[in-house]
Amino acid sequence: MMDISLCLKRPSRMGDSKRMRMTSNFQWLLLTVLLLYLMNQVNSQKRRTPRDLKCITNNLQVWDCSWRAPSGAGHGAAYEVCFENGSHSCYRLEKNVKIPALLPGDHEITINPLHDFGSFISKFTLNEKNVSFIPDVPEILDLSADFSTSTLHLKWNDKGSVFPHHSDVIWEIKVLRKKNMEIVKLVTHNTTLNGRDTIHHWSWTSDMPLECATHYVGIRCYIDDPQFSGRKEWSDWSPLKNISWSPDSQTKVFPQDRVLLVGSDITVCCVTQEEVLSAQIGSTYCPLIHLDGKNVAIKIRNISASESSGTNVVFSVEDNMFGTVIFAGYPPDIPQKLNCETYDLKEIICTWNPGRPTFLVGPRNTSYTLFESFSGKYVRFKRVELPTNESYQLFFQMLPNQEIYNFTLNARNPLGQSESTLLVNITEKVHPHIPTSIKVKDISSTAVTLSWHLPGSFAKIKLLCQIEINKTNSVHELRNVTMKGIENSSYLAAVDKLNPYTIYTFRIRCCTDPFWKWSKWSNEKQYLTTEAIPSKGPDTWREWSSDGKNLIIYWKPLPINEANGKILSYNVSCSSDEETQSLSEIPDPQHKAEIQLDKSDYIISVVAKNSVGSSPPSKIASMEIPNDDLKIEQAVGMGNGILLTWNYDPNVTCDYVIKWCNSSRSEPCLMDWKKVPSNSTETVIESDQFRPGVRYNFFVYGCRNQGYQLLRSIIGYVEELAPVVAPNFTVEDTSADSILVKWEEIPVEELRGFLRGYLFYFEKGERDTSKMRVLESGRSDIKVKNITDISQKTLRIADLQGKTSYHLVLRAYTDGGMGPEKSMFVVTKENSVALIIAILIPVAVAVIVGVVTSILCYRKREWETALLKHWK
Amino acid sequence: MLACLCTVLWHLPAVPALNRTGDPGPGPSIQKTYDLTRYLEHQLRSLAGTYLNYLGPPFNEPDFNPPRLGAETLPRATVDLEVWRSLNDRLRLTQNYEAYSHLLCYLRGLNRQAATAELRRSLAHFCTSLQGLLGSIAGVMAALGYPLPQPLPGTEPTWTPGPAHSDFLQKMDDFWLLKELQTWLWRSAKDFNRLKKKMQPPAAAVTLHLEAHGF
Repeated sequence: MMDISLCLKRPSRMGDSKRMRMTSNFQWLLLTVLLLYLMNQVNSQKRRTPRDLKCITNNLQVWDCSWRAPSGAGHGAAYEVCFENGSHSCYRLEKNVKIPALLPGDHEITINPLHDFGSFISKFTLNEKNVSFIPDVPEILDLSADFSTSTLHLKWNDKGSVFPHHSDVIWEIKVLRKKNMEIVKLVTHNTTLNGRDTIHHWSWTSDMPLECATHYVGIRCYIDDPQFSGRKEWSDWSPLKNISWSPDSQTKVFPQDRVLLVGSDITVCCVTQEEVLSAQIGSTYCPLIHLDGKNVAIKIRNISASESSGTNVVFSVEDNMFGTVIFAGYPPDIPQKLNCETYDLKEIICTWNPGRPTFLVGPRNTSYTLFESFSGKYVRFKRVELPTNESYQLFFQMLPNQEIYNFTLNARNPLGQSESTLLVNITEKVHPHIPTSIKVKDISSTAVTLSWHLPGSFAKIKLLCQIEINKTNSVHELRNVTMKGIENSSYLAAVDKLNPYTIYTFRIRCCTDPFWKWSKWSNEKQYLTTEAIPSKGPDTWREWSSDGKNLIIYWKPLPINEANGKILSYNVSCSSDEETQSLSEIPDPQHKAEIQLDKSDYIISVVAKNSVGSSPPSKIASMEIPNDDLKIEQAVGMGNGILLTWNYDPNVTCDYVIKWCNSSRSEPCLMDWKKVPSNSTETVIESDQFRPGVRYNFFVYGCRNQGYQLLRSIIGYVEELAPVVAPNFTVEDTSADSILVKWEEIPVEELRGFLRGYLFYFEKGERDTSKMRVLESGRSDIKVKNITDISQKTLRIADLQGKTSYHLVLRAYTDGGMGPEKSMFVVTKENSVALIIAILIPVAVAVIVGVVTSILCYRKREWETALLKHWK
Repeated sequence: MLACLCTVLWHLPAVPALNRTGDPGPGPSIQKTYDLTRYLEHQLRSLAGTYLNYLGPPFNEPDFNPPRLGAETLPRATVDLEVWRSLNDRLRLTQNYEAYSHLLCYLRGLNRQAATAELRRSLAHFCTSLQGLLGSIAGVMAALGYPLPQPLPGTEPTWTPGPAHSDFLQKMDDFWLLKELQTWLWRSAKDFNRLKKKMQPPAAAVTLHLEAHGF
């Protein structure tokens, strides 16, 4: 590396070799010997010369050069070192020399051993490139430990003032653990030298509590000076400094009561003088990691969330156990759905949802701080219990003349913090309380005043209240009332357009303008409005008694919306041109009055009275106009009612009245009546009294100026049913080939519909055998006759066999279905002519056969006799 | 029903009829105290199960039997049989009264630190019952003419949530508190049964085996 040249201190001995050139072989031998000699001389001279000049620097300002001393030089030999650095400088010294850093380029250095006559002068060419830069060993100023967080803090000085210019420095720090010095951390740390001494810090958190084992720390550095062209090398490691915990006599487990994030790893150790037999987390046993002495540790990986009292870690020794509790959870989630509103403009209530559970409770639970930035005020929330599903809330007292609030909700627990913000104009976020103390006061029979209490300081804003009005059997009605907010919390509103003497149920809710939220509905308040005079007279009808002397006047109770109060009595009067008869104070439950009248032409007037006054009179003429062209018609309804129609009659000027009654009742019969306007030509009569299968009479009256005329008389059913009985029938006559059957009518009550016909079945059959057979029209041996002429009451069945038993069945039917059947067995009479013929024919046949046989036999005998005669 | 029983027993000392000659004597109140003790034993089984589950494993494991660390201030229920036999009624009742006074105080401390509302409710309910038992014992002592023990100044038990006390040691204390309570109730039942028989001579011999019972 060094360019070394040797200079002889004494004259050369080369003249001695000239005498040795004799022969070529001898010359070669001689040359070889000479060469060996010279090499030996040279080596000998080298050994007797300073050599291997090496220069290093640790501050770039001074080079520390050293060389190997000549062989034979004694300890304490002195040298003269001279070099050129702008000027010629020489130093007298021993072994090594510290010289100021030389400028870039080659510099000649001569080293002359002093007082050693066997030594030679050495010359070296020194360049900065040949100099090694090895910084001084860093010195650790301080190594401290925070045992609670298992953190080591290292402090050292970079001694930057020593170096002339800025340089990058790489620090390498190593952390070793236990007495056998296991490296657990090797890390580089970059800084810059800036010409001043600077104290640097480095901290490291151990995965194992520092109490568990001794930790050692060492440091070295590498300075990357850009202007230094020589070789840069790492400094030596500093002496190790260590941190150890001074255990007392008691066994302890570390860390204690540590809070950590779910899913993280943790090492728990037991510092003890006793033999640890086992370790468990919860109920799970863990393998032991042996540390120095009898200390042990366990490694818990990916820890899961703790139960409310934490996760227990227990180390067991022979007769004792030690432990710690770990709380694995989460940092607080960002508070969700943060909402701030006020009920009364006095206090702001902020609610939020905590989000993901932290699994940390009690003292480690999340604490919340609600901070308002404009006022600088804040309130705190601390929940000790395990949170449930109810939302979290904080109350913040409103400040005078402040409407805009800028809230920051900060959530904090041992694992971290989070926050939510909300800027709110609180006058736009009013959620009023529920209105209370609802009171109602009369104004009139159709108007009331509602008053209520709504706590809050609403003087500066407008309120919109909604009044719900409920009436029995009616759709509820909502009315909006806008009012100015007041301080004293009492509000009034008038409610009109009500019905007299009606039970109303009121309830109220309010909101503010601009709308944010409705309050809850108040409790209901029921109120009965006061009475008013009845608005209409009762619906009236009249019937003449069967003897035609008395007029029976009927009226219907007024509906509640027309009675306007409790009807106490009725006044009835009958007026003609000559006279007036009155019946006064007929008490309410009575809705009928009878007056004896001399003639038929009266105007009847009925008035209803309540506590306030009388209704307008309702009037009806007593006269009935005869109608000669009247037919009784039939009609069938639709189950719950019956449709009646009529032709338009221009003579009918007031209204039509349809009255009806059960046809089985005697006259005068009145179940009910219905009035329809004069322009109508049809109506549906419905009544709860209608029953299926019952025949009703309906009468349609037209009202004219003089009175009522019966226009149509209708019998009908709202629904037809099948007859409940079979017609009674008898056999009127029986012959050898026919039967005459006669039957009776079925009474109307049992017919239950309009009779549409009869079905007559007959078949051959004995009483005993046919009893069980069911008559079915589909069977071929059963003959059926459908009698649709309902006036027919007899039937002759012909073409029957004589002296034969027949099974006869009769049933009636309506559109509602078939009635039950009635049956009978009849035997036809014997046919005598046929019997005689039946006897005579076989006799005649037998006689004829006998005669023919006799003739043939006679003829044969004669033929045989003639033949015998011939042969003979 | 329990509340009524507790109320009745709590007011027993104030019942003047107990101090009158010709009264039925302390027998009924001893019987009621005995019944209440047995009921508390039953109630504690349920409470201990809930609380040990709250403490988590291994505290709720059936064979968990930790050393008694840091629970020296708890009154010990275990006593040598000969020593126990040598005690008179007054001493026994006094020891019972003092023990439950201490235990009740610690139990209330337990209630204050429980993290769940349900657990706090259970503990509060048990504290009320235990308060009733204390009143009942006081009633029996009054009926027998024994004075109530007066606590020495400065020796009243107090519950302090010590920051130096780790959570684990606190759990150990909780465990031992429940265990001592169980043993005390078992011992008290024996005491009251013995006293009850003694008040109705001839009293039958009572054999007492005091030992620690696992939960």
